[in-house]
Amino acid sequence: MDYEPFPRQLTPDQRVVGTARVPDEQRRTTPPVPVKIIVAGGFGVGKTTTVGAISEISPLTTEAEMTMESIGVDDPGPATSKTTTTIAMDFGCVTIDKTLKLYLFGTPGQSRFAFMWDDLIRGALGALVVVDTNRIDDCYPAVDYFERAGLPFVVGVNTFDGQLGYNLDEVRWALAVREDVPVLSFDARFRGSVRDALLVVLDQALHKSIKLNSH
Amino acid sequence: MTYPGGRDHPRRDAAPGVRPFLRTKPAPGQSEAGDTNSTLRPFVITSGRVDGPDPDINMETQVSVHPGAAPTRLPPEKRAIVTLCVEPLSVAEISARLHLHLGVTRILVGDLRADGHLEVHVLGDDFPDPETIMRVIRGLRAIS
Ligand SMILES: Nc1nc2c(ncn2[C@@H]2O[C@H](COP(=O)(O)OP(=O)(O)OP(=O)(O)O)[C@@H](O)[C@H]2O)c(=O)[nH]1
Ligand SMILES: [Mg+2]
Repeated sequence: MDYEPFPRQLTPDQRVVGTARVPDEQRRTTPPVPVKIIVAGGFGVGKTTTVGAISEISPLTTEAEMTMESIGVDDPGPATSKTTTTIAMDFGCVTIDKTLKLYLFGTPGQSRFAFMWDDLIRGALGALVVVDTNRIDDCYPAVDYFERAGLPFVVGVNTFDGQLGYNLDEVRWALAVREDVPVLSFDARFRGSVRDALLVVLDQALHKSIKLNSH
Repeated sequence: MTYPGGRDHPRRDAAPGVRPFLRTKPAPGQSEAGDTNSTLRPFVITSGRVDGPDPDINMETQVSVHPGAAPTRLPPEKRAIVTLCVEPLSVAEISARLHLHLGVTRILVGDLRADGHLEVHVLGDDFPDPETIMRVIRGLRAIS
C-alpha cells in the first residue's frame, strides 16, 4: 500500500480540516484532564457491575495484552514463566467538570497468575480491589501488585445481597494488608455505595499526594 | 496472630504464606516491552511492528484531530480513528468503539500522531496533585 506523503510542516495557509479551511482556534476543543482509578479483582467478583454503577456511559470493553507470570504454587520450580495473554478490560467514566474526567478501568487478576499492570497503573490515583468472600484468594495478585507498586488501594468486599462469608476483620486478616489499607464492604450494584468506596480510594490518594507535595 | 471467629471455613495461614506471590514477582516496571505481539491480527494491522507502544499513549490519554491535518488517504483502521477523534476521546474509548485491540490502537494512534494527523495530549507521569484530587472528591460527592 502506498499513502500520500503528508507534509510535516504546514504553513497556516495550507491548514485544512476536511475540505474547509478553518482557523485553528475555532477547531480546537481542549480535552479534559483524565484521571483514573483501577477496579481490580478476580473473575466474577463484580468489577463490571462496579464500573457500570457509577459510569455515565454503559461500560465499554476493550481487549488488552497483559504480561502474565505463572508462579510456582502447584509447581514450585525456581523459574517463573512469563507469557502475554489477552484480557478483557472494561471501563467507564464520570465527568467531573469541563476540564476533568474520571476514568474507571475494570481489570481481572487471577489466582495463581500475576498480571503486570504497569501501563494500567501509570498515573492512576489508586485502586479498588473487589473481593468476593467466597474466593478471597482471587484478589491476592492485585493486592500484591498494588502494594509493591506503592499505589493507594482499598479492599472492597462486594456484599452480594448482604451475604458476607467473612467479616471485614477476617478479610483483613486473610489478606495481611497494612493497617492503613482500608478494608470496607460495598454493594457493586448501587451507585451510592460504589461512590462511597471510590471516595475512600480518593482519600488514600489525597494522603499520598499531600505527602509527595510536602517536600 | 490469632484468627478472629471460629467457623468451619477452610482456613488460610496468615503471614507470609498467605499471599505466595510476594517473593516471586519482579517490581513494577521490570516487564519487558515488545512482548505484546503474540496474536496474528494485531501484528498485521500494525505492519509487523514489534516495538512497544509509546508510553505517552496510555488508555485514558486524550486524542483529537490535529487542527492542521490535511486530508489524505489512510488505511481503514487509521481513517476510522481520525474520524472518531473530531471530539477529544480517550485511547480506551477509541479501542472499544472500533473493536480494535488496545495495543493496536496505541500503536496506530502513535503513528497518526507522528504523521501529524492526531494530537495526543500528553500528561506527565507525576502523581496527581492534591487540588486535582480534591476536585474529583467534590465531583463524586455531588453524585447521588
Ligand atoms: N446479587 C448480587 N449480584 C452481583 C453483585 N455484584 C455483581 N453481581 C453479579 O455477579 C455477576 C458477576 O458480576 P460482574 O460485574 O460481571 O463481575 P466481573 O468481576 O466483571 O466478572 P468478570 O469480568 O467475568 O471477571 C453478574 O451476574 C452480576 O450481576 C452484587 O453485589 N449482588
Ligand atoms: Mg467484567
